[in-house]
Amino acid sequence: MKIIELIDVQKIYKTQYYEVHALRGISFDVEKGDFLIIMGPSGSGKSTLLHLIGCLDKPSAGKVLINGVETSKLSDFELTNLRRDNIGFIFQQYNLVSTLTALENVELPMLFKGTPKNLRQKRAKELLELVGLEKEIDRRPNELSGGQQQRVAIARALANSPSVLLCDEPTGNLDSKTGEQIMKIIRDLNEEKGVTVVLVTHDVNLKKFGDTVIHLRDGKIQEVEHVH
Amino acid sequence: MYIDIARRNLERAKIRSVLAVVGIFIGVMAVGAIGIFGESLKVAVMQNFEDVANEIVVYPNPQQGYSYVEDRDIRTIEKIPGVKSAIALRSDALSLEFKNKKIIATVYAMDEKNLKEMFEADKGSIKLSSGSCVVGKRLADFLSLKIGSKITLEGRELKVAAILKDVGARFDINPNFAVLVSEDDFKKISGSEVSMVIVKAESLEDVPEIKKAIEERINKKEEKLIVVEMKMILQTIENAFGQINLFLMAIAAISLLVAGVSILNIMLMSTIERTKEIGVMRAIGAQRSTILKIFITEAAILGLIGSMIGSALSLVGGILIDYAILQDWSYALQPSTVFYIILGLSVGISTAIFSGLYPAWKASKLEPIEALRYE
Ligand SMILES: Nc1ncnc2c1ncn2[C@@H]1O[C@H](COP(=O)(O)OP(=O)(O)O)[C@@H](O)[C@H]1O
Ligand SMILES: [Mg+2]
Repeated sequence: MKIIELIDVQKIYKTQYYEVHALRGISFDVEKGDFLIIMGPSGSGKSTLLHLIGCLDKPSAGKVLINGVETSKLSDFELTNLRRDNIGFIFQQYNLVSTLTALENVELPMLFKGTPKNLRQKRAKELLELVGLEKEIDRRPNELSGGQQQRVAIARALANSPSVLLCDEPTGNLDSKTGEQIMKIIRDLNEEKGVTVVLVTHDVNLKKFGDTVIHLRDGKIQEVEHVH
Repeated sequence: MYIDIARRNLERAKIRSVLAVVGIFIGVMAVGAIGIFGESLKVAVMQNFEDVANEIVVYPNPQQGYSYVEDRDIRTIEKIPGVKSAIALRSDALSLEFKNKKIIATVYAMDEKNLKEMFEADKGSIKLSSGSCVVGKRLADFLSLKIGSKITLEGRELKVAAILKDVGARFDINPNFAVLVSEDDFKKISGSEVSMVIVKAESLEDVPEIKKAIEERINKKEEKLIVVEMKMILQTIENAFGQINLFLMAIAAISLLVAGVSILNIMLMSTIERTKEIGVMRAIGAQRSTILKIFITEAAILGLIGSMIGSALSLVGGILIDYAILQDWSYALQPSTVFYIILGLSVGISTAIFSGLYPAWKASKLEPIEALRYE
């Protein structure tokens, strides 16, 4: 089943002085349970692509379909619900809410969904346990290491049991050993829980974790590589 | 949990939040304390008039050519149901001599019974037999009169039987600077007719009926008498106090306005500082309305805390102003005080929420992708 479908997607950023053609006709599908890696140098359009898949932005031309629904036809309200219920985000800078504890950060997507407090807390604890942070649940982000913060971010991304996990350079700010641990958690989620993963990176060492690798350069697909 | 989120955002910028709260509580305190004081002042002033509230004052109407109230009209008034007493007043300005001083004084002719009912003696005892008189406090002070002093009114010697207590402002008669004599003595020294009838009602509720009866029985053909309800005059004064109070509170409310602007300012700063965080929340599923809710909750918390402190202090402030100006703080302890405390509380909270609306709306309008990219 196609969970993500891109048809000739273009993205042009218009600023006052110039236009940037960030994506120039991208088409590919992602099947349920896939682990897709989008690889390319800085500025090649990886983040732009991920934002389009994640319903944070709309394409200038072409179509993005999530579960068969075209995102550009949805309202802000519907897109927000789609993100909340079907998509989990993991960012390079972790992006935790600094005033909230690890537990509360993981609770957030469930709070937005209206999940009652006791269920929310129970699930958040389970998820933090899953990423190995059962002892750190009451710490604020600034009391956690980078690797720990990224684990909290993973737990948060999983809160509403999304079908897709979108990761933008998740290991970019981490040392290689910690990065490896984070990648293993993401791979296990893919393999054991069947979560579909789309991960963008410029780090060729991460290639081994994916099923498929799409090489991106200057907003175009250069090569599609099937690893497994 | 939204309250938790809002609370922690406020804690993040502690000094700023504290300043916003201070602004609100000063505003609420100013509005509340002035409201409480204004009400106290009104009560304090109105107390002076309490015993005239059930009076109707009747004058002859000079526009119809009447310069005095006729005896038969007085008797008609006395017979109206609900009338407790009708006090016919004759008054004149007559020459008064005491020792070597000679002045013109107001002289009222009064019945001893009525006089006792209306005023209290400060010294001596009220007695208006032939040859005796009663004087007002200020006149007595002015002429250094004592009980037993002999004054000469238009050539007739009268003995001072009593000096009245100082009465405040009145609308009917003011004896402070006057001499009160018996009807008989008055007739001997002055030809003045009845210039005013003070009609006292059995109860306040009878007043409109009595007024109506006078109009029907005496003023049917032409407007012979002018009939004035004291209650109406008192009502006018009370309204004037209400307006002054409102005006003073409006001035105090300017400080609330300033507090509102400062909340607007700090919340706008906060939206800019938290752009990225707003983007993150939107990315993981917060609706625009959720962002709106968080910001408004923050404003409401500032308003609630500020207003609660402010209204508690407004009671203290009201008591202090009452003590300083009216020398009696107990005026602050009346039911209307509760109203001003609740008013301060609600005005404070609404000011804060209203000031938070624009920043909250701005925050909710941020595009998630732009906000997320913000550094
Ligand atoms: N909001 C924007 N406005 C203008 N240009 C942008 C914007 N976002 C990205 N770009 C440009 O689009 C291109 C692709 O950017 P991006 O998707 O961030 O690449 P990557 O994530 O692969 O480094 C770059 O040239 C970048 O400068
Ligand atoms: Mg990028």
